[in-house]
Amino acid sequence: MEKNFIIAGFGGQGVLLAGEVLATAFMLAGKHVTWYPSYGAEMRGGTVNCEVVAGDEEVSAVNKLETDFIVALNQASFDKFLKKIKKGGTMIANSTLVKELKTRTDMNYIFAPITKLAEELGNIKMANILALGIVAKASKMISLEHLIDALDRVLPPHRKNLLPLNIKALKIGYEYDLLPA
Amino acid sequence: MATECITNKKVLTKGNYAIAQAAVLAGCECYFGYPITPQSEIGEFMSGKMQELNRGYVSAESELAAINMVIGACSTGAKAMTSSSSCAVSLMQEGLSYATSDQLPVVLVSVMRGGPGLGNIYPSQGDYFQATKGGGNGDYKLIVLAPSTVQECVDLTYKAFYLAHKYRNPTVLLADGLLGQMMEPVEFKEYPYPEIDNSGWALTGAKGRSGRVIRSYAPLAEDQCVFLEKLYQKYKTIEENETEWEEIGTEDADIILVSFGSTSRNVKTAVKMCREKGIKAGILRPITLYPFPNNRLKELACIAKKFIVVEVNMGQMVNDVRLAVNGKVPVELIHKPVGAPPAPEEILDKIEELI
Amino acid sequence: MATQVFKLPESLRENTRYSFCPGCDHGVAVRLVAEVLDELGIRENTILAASIGCSVTIYDFLNIDAIEAPHGRAMAEATGVKRARPDKFVFTYQGDGDFASIGLAESLNAALRGENISAICINNTTYGMTGGQLGPTTLVGQVTTTSPTGRNIEYYGYPIKIAEHIALCDGTAFSARVSLDTVANIKKAKQAIKKAFEVQIKGLGLGFVEILSTCPTNWKMTPDEAHERVRNEMMKTFVPGIYKDVTAD
Repeated sequence: MEKNFIIAGFGGQGVLLAGEVLATAFMLAGKHVTWYPSYGAEMRGGTVNCEVVAGDEEVSAVNKLETDFIVALNQASFDKFLKKIKKGGTMIANSTLVKELKTRTDMNYIFAPITKLAEELGNIKMANILALGIVAKASKMISLEHLIDALDRVLPPHRKNLLPLNIKALKIGYEYDLLPA
Repeated sequence: MATECITNKKVLTKGNYAIAQAAVLAGCECYFGYPITPQSEIGEFMSGKMQELNRGYVSAESELAAINMVIGACSTGAKAMTSSSSCAVSLMQEGLSYATSDQLPVVLVSVMRGGPGLGNIYPSQGDYFQATKGGGNGDYKLIVLAPSTVQECVDLTYKAFYLAHKYRNPTVLLADGLLGQMMEPVEFKEYPYPEIDNSGWALTGAKGRSGRVIRSYAPLAEDQCVFLEKLYQKYKTIEENETEWEEIGTEDADIILVSFGSTSRNVKTAVKMCREKGIKAGILRPITLYPFPNNRLKELACIAKKFIVVEVNMGQMVNDVRLAVNGKVPVELIHKPVGAPPAPEEILDKIEELI
Repeated sequence: MATQVFKLPESLRENTRYSFCPGCDHGVAVRLVAEVLDELGIRENTILAASIGCSVTIYDFLNIDAIEAPHGRAMAEATGVKRARPDKFVFTYQGDGDFASIGLAESLNAALRGENISAICINNTTYGMTGGQLGPTTLVGQVTTTSPTGRNIEYYGYPIKIAEHIALCDGTAFSARVSLDTVANIKKAKQAIKKAFEVQIKGLGLGFVEILSTCPTNWKMTPDEAHERVRNEMMKTFVPGIYKDVTAD
């Protein structure tokens, strides 16, 4: 079954890297996968996003009209992509920066204070990876183990010291909806 | 040989890096280029890698200089390449015309963006004409290969070097901004083609023989006639031996979609959707844009009731499909001027409108 | 016993299909290049990037390996040849229009990069092959087919002093301007060509020689009058001399 994910946020929130980690995890899980960024004017500020398409068959289509999972790390991304979510799809929104408004009833909302959780972990830059933990849990398409392997591959050598913290962030995200509301 | 680049497992790689790494593995001895989005990663990768491997790299002063540096390197029989995009490939047209006449194995990677003029950096297929018809002067052809996945970026880069040297003809890998920027799992296997003997023509210094000249200048008309006849004999051989395409679901198709490059991915999905709806559709994807699969299209025109070309430009390849089909059945166009390819649903809607 | 005192250099071909115009200095310049190639013993290791203009058929005279370059691009092609085959001796032979007008970017950038190649530039103050139009080195006041009342700087701008410009580039090892108007100057020209070749062989960077030459056909002069013009007019703007030599003490 082919599913697509959009990860969106401010430039600097690590959106493209999070997408690369997710895509690598799908590759390690033996899936067909494609990652591509939106680029252009957005490169100079505003929202950045990338799309990851994964499935059991060769990924053919890109630039899909609808999306199964959207991670919105800021309000602008939430506003921009809400209408792109498929019926029955899921919006994972960073409630630290996004207002908890549910205007659609034909889809799922997951509001999680992603930035706040990352701050509590001790590094606000972990928000992107923390969000991936939530994606793994919500999509049931990718395991934590594959994401950890992917992190190990994607993090450049000079960032390898941050691997344990990244793994922690992943786990916090993965366990988030188990926490009391 | 840069064997450290060979991977026996899949690696998530960006299209531009995949092309660059494949070029290194193909034995590219020299890279000359000038930056332009959306292909700058190719030059960036090459600048470090070629130095590391003690091969040639120059940050050229312009695309004019870059293509001529490639010509110079190729004149010695070396494997050499440049890469660029759209408005900057325009600057290379003179060099490409010379290189076809000089019969040099120039490899050009052209990562298309929006045009005409400066246009924008969004993906596009607006340089189909530029690559297949050429903007340079005189009668010539470039071999043009069009990948549609990142793995094909690797495989067709290998092939570009092989065909360029086999036929001594400039060869273009025609990608687009989407492919250049996209990441997919790819495998870098060993360069699969034989090395071509160039001792019969390459410049080596005239040791024990008289000077060898590589030139296009033919001051006498009769000389030029002989040369062009010979050149076009070569093109005939290329057309007979190297035409490559992919077909899905064409055997019983009423509607045949024709699409190349990244756009063909969405068309494949649209074809699947057609079949689910009971529309007998199939796709023919040219992999070589020159030589173009004219004969196969002609054959299919006896089976299909209609052809629909899908491309991201104002309608360029559709002209070649019309020539091949030669009025036998209607050839329609679904297009988008620039940007990411139309979504499969949009293609499906248009197909339903057209049938 | 007879002693041979003059012969065809090995680096020259015997029977050529074309020739330069009577009285043109190209013939002397090409012979000097051939003699230097012979004397340095590098004919069999040399690759030439030819050019467009009167020098277009240079490879019909020189018996060496050569690649033709589009107009102005010889320095780029020579760069490509040298980067692919650093062990080869690589040089260009160009006119002033090719080297310093349409090819100025390629020429200056090759010098700035310090490409280990050599370049010979024939300066005859006009586009000879196309019939004597105004070029980058056309002198102030000079009448050409596209400066019918003479080159006035308000309208046409200034001529370029090529050897001086090339000397300014940090990657240049040797830059000189010579002429072929007297036997003494021909000898000096040959020395300069040799030097421009030797700096490449030593790996010191670009070796460059600008050769002041005649164009009796387009100047509408006899060969002698043309040499007079080189001495009395050209040399005032284009002063002969060595402008850079990194091997000098």
